[in-house]
Parts: sequence; structure tokens; C-alpha cells
Amino acid sequence: MSFLRIHAQPGRTAIWTLSWSLFAAGIVLYFYVAQQRHRENPDDRVMPTIAQMVRGFSDAALKPAAEEEVQAASGSSLLARFRTSMLWTDTLASGRRFLISVALLFPAVLLGLHMAMFPVIGAFFLRFILFFDKIVALSLLPILFIAFGIDELSKIMLIVIGVTPTIILDTFNLTKSVPREQIVKGFTLGASDFSITYRIVFKQIWPRVLNSIRLNLKAVMLFLFAGEMIASTDGLAYRIALLRRHMGMDTIIPYVLWVALLLFLVDFAMNKLNHKLHPWFQER
Amino acid sequence: MLLPQLNISLDDLTLPSGRGSVTLAKRGTCFRSAASIALAIGLMASTPVRAATPSFTVGWSVYVGWNPYYYMAKSGILRKWAAKYGINIRVQRFDYAPSLDAFVAKNIDACAMTNMEALDMPAAAGVDTTAIIIGDYSNGNDAVIVRHNLTLAQIPGKQVMLVEKTVSQYLFERAMAINGLEQQIRQVHYLNTSDSDIASAFLTNQSKPVVVTWKPLVSQILKAKDVKVVFNSSQIPGEILDLLVVPSEVLNRADGSGQKFAKAITGAWYEVLKLMSVPGPASNKVLTDIAEASQDSLASYREQLATTHMFYTPQSAVDMASSAGVKKTMDLVRRFCFQHGLLGEKTKSVDDVAVQFPDGAVLGKPERIRFRFSTAYMQLAAQGKL
Repeated sequence: MSFLRIHAQPGRTAIWTLSWSLFAAGIVLYFYVAQQRHRENPDDRVMPTIAQMVRGFSDAALKPAAEEEVQAASGSSLLARFRTSMLWTDTLASGRRFLISVALLFPAVLLGLHMAMFPVIGAFFLRFILFFDKIVALSLLPILFIAFGIDELSKIMLIVIGVTPTIILDTFNLTKSVPREQIVKGFTLGASDFSITYRIVFKQIWPRVLNSIRLNLKAVMLFLFAGEMIASTDGLAYRIALLRRHMGMDTIIPYVLWVALLLFLVDFAMNKLNHKLHPWFQER
Repeated sequence: MLLPQLNISLDDLTLPSGRGSVTLAKRGTCFRSAASIALAIGLMASTPVRAATPSFTVGWSVYVGWNPYYYMAKSGILRKWAAKYGINIRVQRFDYAPSLDAFVAKNIDACAMTNMEALDMPAAAGVDTTAIIIGDYSNGNDAVIVRHNLTLAQIPGKQVMLVEKTVSQYLFERAMAINGLEQQIRQVHYLNTSDSDIASAFLTNQSKPVVVTWKPLVSQILKAKDVKVVFNSSQIPGEILDLLVVPSEVLNRADGSGQKFAKAITGAWYEVLKLMSVPGPASNKVLTDIAEASQDSLASYREQLATTHMFYTPQSAVDMASSAGVKKTMDLVRRFCFQHGLLGEKTKSVDDVAVQFPDGAVLGKPERIRFRFSTAYMQLAAQGKL
């Protein structure tokens, strides 16, 4: 049998079983330990059971975030209740910061592209960005506070400072990897500097750059969480920081899964869009 | 979380056997870690294979009233007491929040925390907890600081920086209540700020007028211009207690090792406090060593001690624990915790997490006692019977 060989061709059922088996193992292990802890201590909060997590999540998703709105919300439809819930308001607040930060990554792509294409721009930026990339942004917080305050701007800048150098350098490398011959050929066919940059080079690297941004979504989220835990009045990480004060793991775990789901969906959508826009692009 | 425990088990097994420990120590770290892994596997596989002497871990975090634990371990005082009772005690520094997490998860056997956290973290999470040492109370360490001579009455509607749902918020809301502003608390906008960044965040943001925090951050903030303290914990004396808590099940262990542990740590604690309480420069050496725990200078540590009411003698701590004041305080604290949901969503009544006092009196449902004040060990220390 070539079951474990390179030539192996597992069937659909085999693939399905294999790909879900680690999930199953993780879930089973979790609930086994949780069960044991609850037998020892019925009030255990470190590892909540399914029932507790469902209750925690439905409270988070259906109960109004602010106490003043209790009257207004009770009796209205499920959707209306969801829209005033703490889960939704937190998601909106964090989502806004997330989208703004991701949008700010796109200028970084252009910078990387130009750095690689135009030697003078490259000479000006490259060394500095290589250095800047190694700086641990989180340790410079007090300076960030002076420059950007402690409201929205500093959270977004923390993400930008943390993630853009990676994107710039990645774009730079991708651009450099485009064969020189293509550029020479473009020139012989009479292309201008900019048409080579945008119509030959950029077009080729763009799907890869999108992939690189996809890979950095988690870094964006990490910095966002760090920012929200430092100082904020709303947001997903703000809620988790507060819940930690009394070990509200029954809500924290569903929150973390919710964040993972959202992040997965964003990633999935970007991947789909990427392949829709560039049907010729084969990498995953 | 597992690793430190593995190391203890290694130490336990090697230290008493003299020679064996020497050979182990001479080999490289490689061998050591390999040995500890092998041991860990062995320990996990067969529980009866226990270390000869029971060992205990005490978690503490940096705070003026808890730094003595660092000195206790460093000076050898703790080892002396542990040896007297035939046990091993290890002291480990944590950040505050992780120390609470470790205690609730039962990874450590004792932990330094305030009365409020003892109630809303372990007790509310079903870990029956006993306070065996009342170390001190905050007598000005926690403070509400404002810019531009603001008064408490002007704070509603403004932003207040603090670590939400901690003693800081308790202090602030008590300040408002004492000054007849209880109704206006709802108009205050809290800005949840991590304690590691709160000083720099407040100092660099002129637009934020109020901050509530604790020393040494308070001292740092007060060096700035145009800020002043409008309320501090000396105005609610005895309400923010700093304790050493132990899971009740550890104290009740059948082999009596938990009792030995409580006696040893209490004995060591009061020996250190005796050294600290010597007036004048005679205690400089000890206090310098204690200040080292938080990388502080002697002067700074003395300044923090000035706003901390240490119970230097066991008798004074026993008197405090047996006073009516503690009952009143715990009632205020448990109501605060319940109102702010700190006892958990599941807790439907403030009486569901009950507190028992040394005289046997109970706040809440007697069948749901989760937090106990014990004077037993401090009493023994007072009588010199440890």
C-alpha cells in the first residue's frame, strides 16, 4: 500500500476525516478536562462547559451593552436586540479600527513598489525601513501616546507602525523578483517608466501582495488587541480585558472563537476576491 | 504553568540526597532538563511516587506590602521556617493578574491579594479560600488624582482613567458616595487603562483630567505640574486589605502538611516584619533589600511604607480581623462586586458568595461560604507558639 507515500491518493471520506480529526481531538480533550474540573468544583470558571458558554454567548449577543438601554431593548425583535448587544457594539468598534488599519496598508504597498523600481527612492527609504521593521512598537508606547494621544489614533498608529514595514519589505522583495528581462523588453517596446511599474510589474505582483496582506491580518489583529487592552472604552479586546477581571471565561472563549471566525471570513473573502480578479493566479 | 512545578519536584528529589544533587548540578543544563522531563513523565504516570517532603508555592506581585515575600525567600528566613516544619516553600513573583489566574487554577498554594480580589476571583469561582495573614491596609497608597484643581463634584461627565473593576474603581465610587455624589457615578466615563501604561498615558494626555491608581505610580504622577490628589485610601482606612490567601482545601489536607505550611509562612512573615519595624536607620539594610524586590530605592520604599498601614505585630492583625470594621468593609466590598457583575453572571444574589469571619459570623448564605478570615495562625504567632 502507498498509504503513507508521496503517491498516496486519499479518498474524499479519508480527507474529510483526517482534516477534522484534530478539531475533534481538541474539543474532546477540552470537554473531558472541563468535565473533570466541574466535578471537583461545580463553580469552576477556568474551563466553562458548553452550557455555560452558550449562556455566556447569548447574553453577550442579546443583552444590551449599556444598562440605560435595558428598557428600550426588552420586547423588541431578536435582530434589534442583537444590534444593541455588547457583542455587536464591540465588534463594530473593533471592526472600524481594523478596516481603517487595513486600508492604511495599501499606501505601504505602493511605497514598496516604488522603492524597488526607482533606485533613488529605494536608497532613501530602504535602510531606514529595514531598521524600523525590527523595532518592537509596543515598547515605544509612551512616545506613541505623546504623538497620537490615547484615543483612536494611537491604536491605529500602533497597528500601522507594527505591520506596514513588513508589507513594504515584502512588496519590495516581490517587485525585485520580477525578471529583469521583462522590464528591458518593455523598454524596447517603448513603455514609459510608469507603465512598466504599474502595467507590467505591479500587475504581476498584486495577487501575491494581497496574499501577503492576508497573512498579516493576524498581526493586525494582535496589535489591535494590544492597543485596546492598553486603554479603551469599547472593542472586543476591551471586553475581554474586563471579563478577565472576574475570570469570565464562559464569555471570553466564545468571544475568541467569534474573533477567529470573523478573521477567517475576512481572509476567505480576500482569497476568493483575489482569485476572481486574477484567474491566472495559481498560488493559494 | 507546568514547568515551575516540574522544577520543584526535581529540587525536592535531589536536594535531600546530598551527593546526588552535586552530580546533577555538575552536569550541563541539558542533562538537568532531560532529567526533569523524565521525572515529570514519571510523576505523571505514577502519582504515588511523591517527593519526600511536601512542597508549596507562594505567588506574590510587586507591591509595597508584598515585597517582604521576596526578602523572606532571599534572606533564608523562609528556608529556616520551612525546615522547622519539614516542608519546602518556594516563592514566585508574578504580575498581579496572572498570579490571581494561577491561584484560581490551583497552580500555586498561596497568593498575596487584596480582600476584593480574594472575593471576586477565587471565592466567586468556587475555590474556597482562607485568608491566613492580614498584612496591611492601604492608607493612602491608592489615590484619585485630578488636573487643574478639579473637585469630585466636577468629575461626572468627564473621562476617568483607571483599571476598571479593581480596587481603583472601588476607591473612586466610595469617594463619590462619601461625598454624596452616588447618583452621579453613572455619568462618569471610565477609560479602562492597563496599569503598566497608566502613568505615561495620563501624563502625556492633557485632555484626560482624572486618573485613579496606586503607588508607586501615584508618586510618579504627582511629580507633574498642576495635578493633585482629591481623595485617597487613607479616607477609607481598613477597606483595602492586603492578604495572604490559601485554598481552604490545602489547609485541611489530611496529612497536616497544609497546616505546617500556614504555620511556617506566618512565622517567617512576622520575623521579617519584626526586622522591618525597627525604628530609625537600623532597619535601613533590611528595607533596602526589600525595596530591591521592586527595583526601588530605600527612600522611595520608605515613602510608600508611610502610606501603608502595616500590621507589624501579629496581635494588631488579629485585632483588625476580629473587629466589626472588617465585617462592614466586606459587606461594602461584596455589594460593590455584585453590583458590577464581578461575582459572575451566574451569581444571582450577593449572598451566594458568603464570607465567614474569625468569630464564626457569616455574611451571606451559611451553606455557601467561599471566603474565610482565619486568625488561627496569626494568633499562634502572637502567643509565640509557632
